[in-house]
Amino acid sequence: MSLPMIELNGVGKSFGAHEVLRGVELKIAKSEVVCLIGPSGSGKSTLLRCVNFLEPYDVGDVRIEGRLIGYEDAPDGTRRSMNARKLRDMRREIGMVFQHFNLWPHMTAIGNVAEPLRRVRGLPANEAADRAMAMLTRVGLAAKAHAYPSHLSGGQQQRVAIARALAMQPRLMLFDEPTSALDPELVGEVLEVMKSLASEGMTMLIVTHEMGFAAHVADRIAFIDEGRIIEEGPPRHVFHHSREPRVRQFLQTYHDRNSF
Amino acid sequence: MNPDVLWRYLPSLISGFGVTIVCWSAGGALGMLLGFAIALARRLPLPPLQWALRIFIEVFRGTPFLMQLFLLYSGGPYIGLRLTATEAGVLGLGLYSSAYFAEIFRAGFASVPRGQIEAATSVGMAPFDALIRVALPAALIASVPSIVNMLIVLSKETVVLSIITVPELMYQMQTMAAETFTAFDAIFAMAVFYWLLVEVVSRIGARVEARVTAFLAREGAAA
Repeated sequence: MSLPMIELNGVGKSFGAHEVLRGVELKIAKSEVVCLIGPSGSGKSTLLRCVNFLEPYDVGDVRIEGRLIGYEDAPDGTRRSMNARKLRDMRREIGMVFQHFNLWPHMTAIGNVAEPLRRVRGLPANEAADRAMAMLTRVGLAAKAHAYPSHLSGGQQQRVAIARALAMQPRLMLFDEPTSALDPELVGEVLEVMKSLASEGMTMLIVTHEMGFAAHVADRIAFIDEGRIIEEGPPRHVFHHSREPRVRQFLQTYHDRNSF
Repeated sequence: MNPDVLWRYLPSLISGFGVTIVCWSAGGALGMLLGFAIALARRLPLPPLQWALRIFIEVFRGTPFLMQLFLLYSGGPYIGLRLTATEAGVLGLGLYSSAYFAEIFRAGFASVPRGQIEAATSVGMAPFDALIRVALPAALIASVPSIVNMLIVLSKETVVLSIITVPELMYQMQTMAAETFTAFDAIFAMAVFYWLLVEVVSRIGARVEARVTAFLAREGAAA
């Protein structure tokens, strides 16, 4: 049996006195798509950000294909911060897409995608540009390659951000509410790209409020509340057969809102 | 107004204007370089260095430029710093403005959204690359209006250099006024020269600003 792509064991994290994550357990196999849902403030984004150590967790283990990220455990049981270079090497295998796209505004679309290829992968300029162009084509934005982010719609910006992450050829992708900042009519184009990624076998962990998308694309849904995963299973199970009152209550508000 | 007197003193006024421009641009360039270095150094996690830089900025922003210049020019020799008046003037303008430029650049760096740095971190970019390729351009662009503003303020601080006998515009104007008893004409001439300088600087500044922020403009507005 192969190692899980992502494995979280007893992950805890506090901001001051506020405990955001309390012993999170989660396993995601290669090529699996898992959607993380839950009320706001439940710790979804923090959990996601712990996976690439953008947010350092305090206790527990986060492992990527069996390898601990962010820390190094010594044989005597003590733990110290991971060497910065090793951490960067691990991070470049983990693509991340943010709620607010976080494109670099002073670079064109193709510049945004090529930049990490040049700085991190060390590709020469023309090769980086070729690969960047291929990625933009893949997300349907070849025609906008030389536009600056401010000249793109939110949906287009997010697709560029996805292309930027994909160009690094990551082994897994993290999505932090990728459509929450978009106008409703722009959500579809981003979800389409994500759907095609999923069908190509990309391992994905997605924090989302798009319940329809989660139901159709996810292999599994994990529901998080007050820093713990309280329900986990196939979408059908979580959405229709959960016994957890908190889950039912949360989903009820969605049903209510969508039945006008 | 006495056109003859003005005409007679025009060469010395123009030479003074030239000295003003040289001191101003050299002092401004020095101030920007030093200020930028301070702003970068303020990002290093070294507490003693942070205190030293804070004190430097507080001293040079918190005391009159005239006093700083006097200390530098008259007090300098006591610590082995023998400078001509013009050298002291340029160095003084540089030190004085560096404190302001340091704050301008610091604010510029602070204005870079954290998400842009996180995006760089998430693709595995080294902190130095993220600083040079992501934070720096955004910080500089955000700083342009404040830089132009500071340069304009600095152009007028150059008059203080006349006190330590730098032969700049103010000095020539005072000479003319004293020799010909035409205070009004002299001041008027000086005002015209300064207005000219500030006008040119602010126009260039507006152009630079439009140029470097062109990519931020919405479609249509940019075309």
